[in-house]
Amino acid sequence: MIFTIGDYLAGMLVGAVTALSVRMVVWPGMDMVIAMIVGMALGMLVHLILGLGLGPLIGMFEAMIPASLIGMYGGMFFGMRDSMAAGSRTLPAAIAVGAIFGALVIAGVHFYDRALRGAVVDTGE
Amino acid sequence: MDTATQRKWDAASRNFDVFSYGDDLRLGPHKQRLFAKMRGETLMLAAGTGNDFRFFPPGLSIIAIDISAKMLERATKKAAVYQGRIDLRQMDACQLEFLDNTFDTILTVCTFCSVPKPVVALRELYRVLKPSGQILMFEHVRSRIGPVGVFLDLMTPLSRRLGPDLNRDTVGNVQKAGFRIRREENVYLDIIKAIEGIKDPVLSP
Repeated sequence: MIFTIGDYLAGMLVGAVTALSVRMVVWPGMDMVIAMIVGMALGMLVHLILGLGLGPLIGMFEAMIPASLIGMYGGMFFGMRDSMAAGSRTLPAAIAVGAIFGALVIAGVHFYDRALRGAVVDTGE
Repeated sequence: MDTATQRKWDAASRNFDVFSYGDDLRLGPHKQRLFAKMRGETLMLAAGTGNDFRFFPPGLSIIAIDISAKMLERATKKAAVYQGRIDLRQMDACQLEFLDNTFDTILTVCTFCSVPKPVVALRELYRVLKPSGQILMFEHVRSRIGPVGVFLDLMTPLSRRLGPDLNRDTVGNVQKAGFRIRREENVYLDIIKAIEGIKDPVLSP
């Protein structure tokens, strides 16, 4: 249970910091493709730094895999939104959207993990 | 002895326990369940700093090897408190100093992400394992989930500098070395796996 809470907090943190970083760099009217590439690069950087920091607490793969998805896809998504000036008008709102995105990715990874977990091959010996 | 690999893991030994702290807590019960199947003369490959010794069932006689002397130095205290016998030795997985058909069980934990020539090392393990002996492995492998697999491919050139590869096909390598898979279990997504293999006895014609 403690690790599940940790996963969600870590995902929300990565999402929030990614959204914040993208908001700092991408401005409304910026070319959307460039904004998405910049967002993805920033997200990957954020995920590397935070993932390495959070890994010793919640497990390396459990930290890095969801963080990579949040950083990569979240960065692109936030870059697209911010370049269109769509959605969050204020910085706190953008950070909240980042945190929600992070939590949703964690929920998806947990769901997928449950589906995949267990024996793939078992000869019964 | 592969000195480049040795130097890398000597350097990694300094922070190894810090980085593996969460994994040990989180994955410990899964390891314990796999390790409960250890029996007879046992070889543990890549003992590291000995963090996994606490999950061993008591009363076994185990030889634990590692390529890094610094790792083994740190493992000494943990080996001393094991309720059984753990003999630590510095050795290269690709050049095992054991006779053929020596061990009943071989155990590897997050090892084949790091051994530079995995199939060569697995063939060495096959050689030293007795017929009908078992190999128990707790390993991380490349994911078959599209974006996750690509991410692991992209990260490997970076991770390899500090420690492991993230995109190994360890199940395939185990089979290439001659083992038959008895059980394969996904522990986290399809990345962290518990793998059990058997060295089938060769039937004479």
